[in-house]
Amino acid sequence: MMKGGFEVVHATLDMIQPHHEPLWDNFASSVAFPTSVNSVPRQTVENRCVNLERNELSEWVEQVTKQLIDDLPPEPETRPDHSSSLQDADTSTMVCDDSFGAPLLPAGDFSRPRKIRRSVLDCGAGEELQWSNNELGNVNNVSENKLNRLDEQGLSLITLLLECAVAISVDNLGEAHRMLLELTQMASPYAASCAERVVAYFAKAMSSRVINSWLGICSPLINYKTVHCAFQAFNNVSPFIKFAHFTSNQAILEAFHRRDRVHIIDLDIMQGLQWPALFHILATRIEGAPHVRMTGMGSSMELLVETGKQLSNFAKRLGMSFEFHPIAKKFGEIDISMIQLRRGETLAVHWLQHSLYDATGPDWKTLRLFEQLGPRVITLVEQDLSHGGVFLDRFVGSLHYYSTMFDSLGAYLLADDPNRHRIEHCLLYREINNILAIGGPARSGEDKFKHWRSELSRSNCFVQLPMSSNSMAQAQLILNMFPPAHGYSLVQGDGTLRLGWKDTSLFTASAWTSSHAFR
Amino acid sequence: MHNTTNHHHLNHQQQQQQQQTQNSHTSTSRSSDSGAGEPCATGNKWASRLLRECARAISDKDSSKIHHLLWMLNELASPYGDCDQKLASYFLKALFCKATESGQRCYKTLTSVAEKSHSFDSARKLILKFQEVSPWTTFGHVAANGALLEALDGEPKLHIIDISNTLCTQWPTLLEALATRNDDTPHLKLTVVVTANIVRSVMKEISQRMEKFARLMGVPFEFNVISGLNRLGELTKEALGVVEDEAVAINCIGALGRLAVEERGGVIQMFQSLGPKVVTVVEEEADFSSTPYDFVRCFEECLRFYTLYFEMLDESFAPTSNEKLMLERECSRSIVRVLACDEELEDYSTSGGECERRERGSQWSDRLKEVFSPIGFSDDVVDDVKALLKRYRAGWALAQPHQDETGLYLTWKEEAVVWASAWKP
Repeated sequence: MMKGGFEVVHATLDMIQPHHEPLWDNFASSVAFPTSVNSVPRQTVENRCVNLERNELSEWVEQVTKQLIDDLPPEPETRPDHSSSLQDADTSTMVCDDSFGAPLLPAGDFSRPRKIRRSVLDCGAGEELQWSNNELGNVNNVSENKLNRLDEQGLSLITLLLECAVAISVDNLGEAHRMLLELTQMASPYAASCAERVVAYFAKAMSSRVINSWLGICSPLINYKTVHCAFQAFNNVSPFIKFAHFTSNQAILEAFHRRDRVHIIDLDIMQGLQWPALFHILATRIEGAPHVRMTGMGSSMELLVETGKQLSNFAKRLGMSFEFHPIAKKFGEIDISMIQLRRGETLAVHWLQHSLYDATGPDWKTLRLFEQLGPRVITLVEQDLSHGGVFLDRFVGSLHYYSTMFDSLGAYLLADDPNRHRIEHCLLYREINNILAIGGPARSGEDKFKHWRSELSRSNCFVQLPMSSNSMAQAQLILNMFPPAHGYSLVQGDGTLRLGWKDTSLFTASAWTSSHAFR
Repeated sequence: MHNTTNHHHLNHQQQQQQQQTQNSHTSTSRSSDSGAGEPCATGNKWASRLLRECARAISDKDSSKIHHLLWMLNELASPYGDCDQKLASYFLKALFCKATESGQRCYKTLTSVAEKSHSFDSARKLILKFQEVSPWTTFGHVAANGALLEALDGEPKLHIIDISNTLCTQWPTLLEALATRNDDTPHLKLTVVVTANIVRSVMKEISQRMEKFARLMGVPFEFNVISGLNRLGELTKEALGVVEDEAVAINCIGALGRLAVEERGGVIQMFQSLGPKVVTVVEEEADFSSTPYDFVRCFEECLRFYTLYFEMLDESFAPTSNEKLMLERECSRSIVRVLACDEELEDYSTSGGECERRERGSQWSDRLKEVFSPIGFSDDVVDDVKALLKRYRAGWALAQPHQDETGLYLTWKEEAVVWASAWKP
């Protein structure tokens, strides 16, 4: 019976044609997910990492970065160094930990950036951790082989890029500017090689940063329409956003079990693409549709009102009672009094994190507001990338991250595909630009948390809710929609779902509940 | 056909006035909050507005305004985006160089990188692709070849002095015409003068190919390259090796504009001393030289011209074309040169590289009229040009001069962009 149910769902998924449908009309027939608890047979859920090659470009980056850093004059150690290399074979817990405490040497010396160890995976106590780790022990051997295969042009570009990043990190802007003049002439974003495309965008982002440094300004100017448009294009060719939507929706659905008054706060609702699917399920629940309130937050009231209208119309068509409250502010900049809370309502807070712009404002205030609200569930989808820390840390982390992202697009889309260009230029480049900007993606001089999952687990107010097997099933279904099937990797570990490309995790989905949830 | 040059000036003024009244954006908001924080980012031609305001601010030395505008441009610009974003990006680079007085260094770095990354194959591919999608260079070639053939008709020994950087793509058609026009195929000596380093390195390959082609066509052929010059102004009569019984023709494609301004008169005189039967001159229609000390005017003219050029490139090439990108980068170097290197105006011998101070057809005419008289293009040549333009996308047209003007203009969307002319002693 379950099998039949699975097939039906699958068939429904097939009806979603990414490219041409107007945004909203299609959702009436969109995904319905299984509400029964029996999960899909285990074997479809298991890790797909079995046949993975290590991502060539990011492996390279590791190798060359290591070289570059190791070649610098030694820095006095301030804490026991329990790993001097990138070769932690056993658990691969290479933590990008900023708590070393040693400040960078004063500008007069040749400041050496801290030894950087990158987080491949924060793994906890085992569970179904199935990243293929055995290759890490052979990093050197494997890298050498891969290095030979990668072309010389790409190699010299990346090396120059890294040198430039080091120059920026020690504030040698004149030298950086000169190198960037070269780089921005040598690398093309339309190249066949993903490495070259990545270099083109990273170089451009660093040029922007150099100019902003000189101007002494770090705030951004954002064209939201272009960004949202690119976001949509990305959603069509890549599974990450749907992964975020559907796994979160599942967790929210479960939190709303048998509740008839519900309130969802979406910290960055954009066009609200996520919600129709959830509404559809809620409206057709056995126990009947709940009354749904939604608080949508975003950058422009105009856009929010439009989104609210669309969602209201949709809810009306489903016969579900619905209210929408737009708040054109950042979550970390509002007071709890701005959010209408009603007795007897079950509260869900949802956040799909990205680096396109600072959606939430000061992180510590955001955390505090979470605590004050005490929601029944917080669904958090995070980029598996640290947004905080010093420039060089962010540079290395994001180079690895975005190389992987570019690789994932390049595996399926042609070099001259205008859609691919739009995604890379209007979306990924924008993120790269923000992450490398002065002060990082907050663009305000405020530092950002590295990983929200760590913050939430550290907080006494929250307890992690492991993502259910249904969520995993949802994620698996999404993956089935996106070729190439064996490039994307889905892993469940530590209660968290991770979606990545080859063996690099790119997004994590987790759910949290207030320790004393009273809503 | 009517002359569009005057028409064009009027259009430009009208446009300016329109833009000023429409110009309502005064965004001082630096926050990323409100959707209204970037009114300029969504409108049309925002780059042009911001850039011109910035140029004015620089000229007025309004420091805080300069900073604010540079910041906006920096945030909105991208060399990989749409036309506005590209213009913003490349002009921003020049403005930044100007503000940090690093124009000369920047230009040197840019040119040396470009030279290093070019090969014969890439240069050839680039120009051939450009000629395939746009008549920007082929227009001049066809008009000049037409005038050359007519003026040199009947001469048994020809010496064409070619001062251009179009990698000899002009000559195969001429060689063919010489081979097929009548029984006596003349002897052709082709002396190519190159100054761009990028072209220098590829001339060896080119000469081999030209010689081979001439053999194929059955045209007795001699090919010389003069590439040792630092600047075009160093060119001497002696170096050209002109011989008594030759019929000399001088073909300048974008050459005069590369001369230092103060050397132009002298070089034209030197041409006269060679006793040519015909001189063909093709130049891009822009004026970067008559107001070098008026930054705003120079800037606006530069912006006007490159806006046209970039839009033309955008409409001629595919959006993700690497060739287009290379041409845009070439422009970037020129823009830096014109706008951020003006401190070198007096001392050309040390600055190296090429001048980018273009002049319009009417200005060149004034200079050339001092020693030469204009030759009109015959109807046949005009027909050839029209036939050429038909092979390209819509938007291109031919404009013929009014009474006291000379030459032919290639127009893009009714704006004159390239001027071709022919002269005799």
